[in-house]
Amino acid sequence: MTDESAVGETSTKDEPKSSPQPGASDSGRREGVHGGGQGPWITAIRKLRSDGAAMAALSLLLVITALCAAAPFYAERIAHTDPFRSSLEAEIVIDGRAVPVLEPSTVGLGLGVTPIGPTWDPRAYLLGADNQGRDVAARLLYGGRNSLLIASAATVLCLLLSAVVGLTSGFFGGVVDQILSRLMDVLWSFPIYLLAISLSIVLISKGFEIGPISITSGSLWLPIFIIGIVYVPYVARPIRGQVLSLKESEFVLAAIGLGVPSHRILLRDILPNVTTTLIVFIPLMMALNMLTESALSFLSIGVQPPDASWGTIIQDGQTLLYTRPMVALAPGIAIVLTVLGLNVLGDGLRDALDPRSKLRIGQG
Amino acid sequence: MITALIQRLAQMAFVMFGISVVVFLIFFATPGSDPAARIAGRNASQETLAAVRKDFGLDRPLPIQYLGLMKRLFISQDLTSFVNRGHKVIPAVLHAAPITLSLVLGGAVLWVLGSITIGVLAAAMRGSLIDRLLMVLGLIGISMPVYWLGEMLNLVTQSRLHDTWMFSWVPPLGYKPLGTDPLGWFLTMIIPWITLAVLYIGLYGRVLRANLVEALQEDYVRTARSKGISESRVLIRHALRTSLITFVTMFGLDFGALVGGAALLTEVVFGLQGVGKLTYDALQSLDLPVIMATVMYASFFVVGANALVDLTYVLLDPRVRRR
Amino acid sequence: MTRNRRLFGGALCAGAMFGALWATSPAFAESLGQDSATPANLTQVADMQAGHRGGTMRLVARSAAGTIDPHINYTLQFWQVYQMLYDGLLGFKKAAGEEGFIVVPNLAEALPEPQNGGKTYVFKLRKGVKFWDGRDVTLADVVASYRRIFKVSGPTSGTFYNGIVGADKCLKSPADCTLEGGVIGDEAAGTITINLVSPDPEFFYKISVPHAAILPADAPATDSGTTAIPGTGPYMIESYDPNSQLKMVRNPYFKVWSEDAQPDGYVDEIDYDFGLTDEAEVTAVQNGEADWMFDQPPTDRLGEIGSKYQKQVYINTLTAWWYAPMNTNLAPFDNVKARQAVNYAIDRKALVNLFGGPVLASPVCQVLPPGFPGHVDYCPYTKNPGTKWTAPDIEKAKMLVKESGTAGQKVTVIVEDTAVARSIGVYLQSVLNELGYDAAMKAISPNIQFTYIQNTKNQVQMSVSQWYQDYPAASNFLHVLFSCDSFTPGSDSSVNISGFCNKGVEAKMKKALKLGITDQVAADKLWAEIDKEVTDLAPIAPLFTPKHIDFVSQRLGNFIFNAQFYWVMSQAWVK
Repeated sequence: MTDESAVGETSTKDEPKSSPQPGASDSGRREGVHGGGQGPWITAIRKLRSDGAAMAALSLLLVITALCAAAPFYAERIAHTDPFRSSLEAEIVIDGRAVPVLEPSTVGLGLGVTPIGPTWDPRAYLLGADNQGRDVAARLLYGGRNSLLIASAATVLCLLLSAVVGLTSGFFGGVVDQILSRLMDVLWSFPIYLLAISLSIVLISKGFEIGPISITSGSLWLPIFIIGIVYVPYVARPIRGQVLSLKESEFVLAAIGLGVPSHRILLRDILPNVTTTLIVFIPLMMALNMLTESALSFLSIGVQPPDASWGTIIQDGQTLLYTRPMVALAPGIAIVLTVLGLNVLGDGLRDALDPRSKLRIGQG
Repeated sequence: MITALIQRLAQMAFVMFGISVVVFLIFFATPGSDPAARIAGRNASQETLAAVRKDFGLDRPLPIQYLGLMKRLFISQDLTSFVNRGHKVIPAVLHAAPITLSLVLGGAVLWVLGSITIGVLAAAMRGSLIDRLLMVLGLIGISMPVYWLGEMLNLVTQSRLHDTWMFSWVPPLGYKPLGTDPLGWFLTMIIPWITLAVLYIGLYGRVLRANLVEALQEDYVRTARSKGISESRVLIRHALRTSLITFVTMFGLDFGALVGGAALLTEVVFGLQGVGKLTYDALQSLDLPVIMATVMYASFFVVGANALVDLTYVLLDPRVRRR
Repeated sequence: MTRNRRLFGGALCAGAMFGALWATSPAFAESLGQDSATPANLTQVADMQAGHRGGTMRLVARSAAGTIDPHINYTLQFWQVYQMLYDGLLGFKKAAGEEGFIVVPNLAEALPEPQNGGKTYVFKLRKGVKFWDGRDVTLADVVASYRRIFKVSGPTSGTFYNGIVGADKCLKSPADCTLEGGVIGDEAAGTITINLVSPDPEFFYKISVPHAAILPADAPATDSGTTAIPGTGPYMIESYDPNSQLKMVRNPYFKVWSEDAQPDGYVDEIDYDFGLTDEAEVTAVQNGEADWMFDQPPTDRLGEIGSKYQKQVYINTLTAWWYAPMNTNLAPFDNVKARQAVNYAIDRKALVNLFGGPVLASPVCQVLPPGFPGHVDYCPYTKNPGTKWTAPDIEKAKMLVKESGTAGQKVTVIVEDTAVARSIGVYLQSVLNELGYDAAMKAISPNIQFTYIQNTKNQVQMSVSQWYQDYPAASNFLHVLFSCDSFTPGSDSSVNISGFCNKGVEAKMKKALKLGITDQVAADKLWAEIDKEVTDLAPIAPLFTPKHIDFVSQRLGNFIFNAQFYWVMSQAWVK
């Protein structure tokens, strides 16, 4: 990232002013960086705005967020349903006929009960009902709130921690690296399911207190912390690897030789280069987090019945796979769309912030 | 070199020790984990409970129980399960290991080849429709829960379309050993391989593409280009190597975890009795000996894989000489 | 007992009504006809054997059921298999319908007459029966087997067999159990004499279950785990790996000694495979890759099974229950009005739908299941109280909650982590919320849940559980589940989950037990009264009685359902 104040401190005649490249010569670096004399952030925003795909992705994400935020409105005003109340005996009217929401089979031996399928009518059971007779579309919107909240928070936490660990581990090496790496090993081979099962049983009746914060099994902080921490090795180790590589590049060696303090080198020279990796990981971690969150909810940690998240709706849909696949499909599609949007937006963001890409655009 | 190796091994042992203690503590901190009543049988009298407790050494203090467990696991190797009484744990794990290996190796081959192809293609044709399409497909792969995908594939290949020419070759679910039935082994594993690989292809393809695109802007690449080397060679010979650092790191983490049994949902859905399924069943029944054995097994592979990955950094990026 | 396969019991059903209920099932017609029901005469058997003998049967289940030791295993899954592997002095008749409850002589030559006021029974041991390793069954084996029940601390040693003389010493120090004065062998006469401390009308049932199987005298005095102990049945265990397969083949030394007690089997080999999910099991049976699945089919396959594969489906009633125990010693359910409110509010028809529809379950409001001795139809918790449940009465329920003053309290429902139990749990949570409580639902692994909800330390307010009868006696439901004796605070083994202990009811139960020794009919009338009283006090919320589905492959023939141990495996053929 460009930072004008860094220019004076770290630059020498041969030293690139902005995001340095491993093993890069300085040809072509200096021009085009401070093109029109505008601040780097304004340039970035301008660039982003002109990127059609990124704008489309941003709108998609905004629409999804807005829909989820409007969940209570949809449930109360449009669908007239309480998506958290089991309504196994309800009936709705389709084409003038009263149709039970849960219909026992009348074919053959009359075994089994099937919930109503998608009616494609936003006023009642747009996407059908789940096996408790609840409106899937309404639950999808409410679920989006939980999923987006938990996954975003967990992703932010994870990337933050990973950056710190990866940078420290890779840059300082030696004992620090060994300790942190072994810690990462422990974390990665940690039996998360065992912890989750244990925690869910421990928390059944009581929560536990950490200072002023009371954690019960329904607290959303639990999955946020668990997921955020569990995936740290997955991002920290690649970052560490990159940092190891970067550490040997000329400009870093030069900076060290100049006596520039470590934290400056980390922040000004190395971090910008690993942001690409971090940005690429955002949508990927969001997807993984949403799925891991569903596994945790299944074990009664985090989103509890009757609350929903996209993951729990998928779980509900597992038992209806052979008869009502839409219940599992709809949240899956929601996850894909969100992840897609983040992906494209992330690409655009990286392009916008990365001055190297100006070169790319300029030179084709 | 040797000292570094020994040091690394010692650290591995320490990590495994740490995890074993954590598992042990978690188990005994869990209410309802006391195996005595479950071993004794339903509605057992209090005397029976006490007798069982004594028999299994469950009335001894925790550190003694821990040492006893570790001794039976590593030294005398006669550790038996709490749930399947008399069933030795270590042979069970060793018996399950080749099944998991079959699944993971095959899946890994698929996803590595697949993601490299996708990543390289997407980077080479960046900005084009193909690039976007590949990325979308990859993202769909990441967003699909493994269990759901497995069940859907079963639904299609075993149930709905089983009698059609498309899927009549799919054998019944369940592992067929490579030694006795190679063709059956292969046919059985194809669908599980695909299921396992789908998640990772998207992930790795995406990461690789991003790193490649970045690498292609490097100056050393421009140098290569200016030397007249063709674009594809530039991509594959020069850009790919450094882009593989992240790829290899992630692969080490994933592969290590998978061999250790992280593919448990895939194994469950396809009826493969691998280490993952063993772990899953043990967790469901809070069977401490089996849980301990599988966790030790898993952590061994995770730390081992990470150690190997650290070694490969030297090969991939010549600038990294020391760790 | 519960249906939990891992560690707990199977289901033994009984009752005069059973045959009638079974006969009304749609699949009844399929299971009758010339291919079904144990034929009475031997020429018919010989013909059938000639026509259908041979082949390999493949059975599938999600997992194995623990130890293979018949004196210890207490699961339905393996009790079903033990029927063709092990024999006791007496046994349940291997017949369909009502006949399956009849106790017939097995390794004993005849049913003994009670002597000494019902405290002594003398059994004459049959000669010529061999274990599957070739050795003869001797008196020493019988005596040793009864001692072994205590030596291995079998789960029912303290509950079924504590009435044998000398059992109290054995329970105190199992290792040197001699059962002196309890089980005596007489070599000269070839008889076994069993002496009881007091008369027990249920004694014959108790010695007909696998826990009293006759094993070789040198069987290990500890849980044999995965090592099979030789038995006397038509099949023997060739190998057992709890993670993959239980393989059974014909016992080469088997000769039929009683067609009723232990007929010969048709297939040559039985492969019982473990490891498939229940969805995969259904598909395997549909594709003909498996002949029968142990687990109940998942609810989303019921439709297709009931329509496309209806000829391969057998549905049978069970004397069993799904119920929701409420902790009578913890708020809010220490208040009887709160408990009754829950009973009024539950829509049992909805629960039946969650289980799979009205063909597979029926609502109940009382403790004793229909068709049980002592059962008299009684349902107070419905819109029009009387004998049958019709609809929930939410208004009455809400009123009761108000009167109890417990509204707004937190309640947690603990269920098993299976699809059906979860859905029932979510529904109950919804009902509780509607009543004004702040309800939560937690699902834990089925292997742990049963012991978890029993232990008062865990302070479980409400849970969902099932109970299947051990043998046809009202005491098996009322006394076992609601007696003060069955309540042990702080223990994982306290099957009176609701902690119900009522002096009046307790006295009545003791009276009924005593009465049963002499006059079972009068006793059953008393049990009916007790049933009413307990139902009114509502320590539990009865939910429904389930039916059992057996889904078999197309080629499987002669399917016989024995109410005692369910499908009689040895009597089916595959050719």
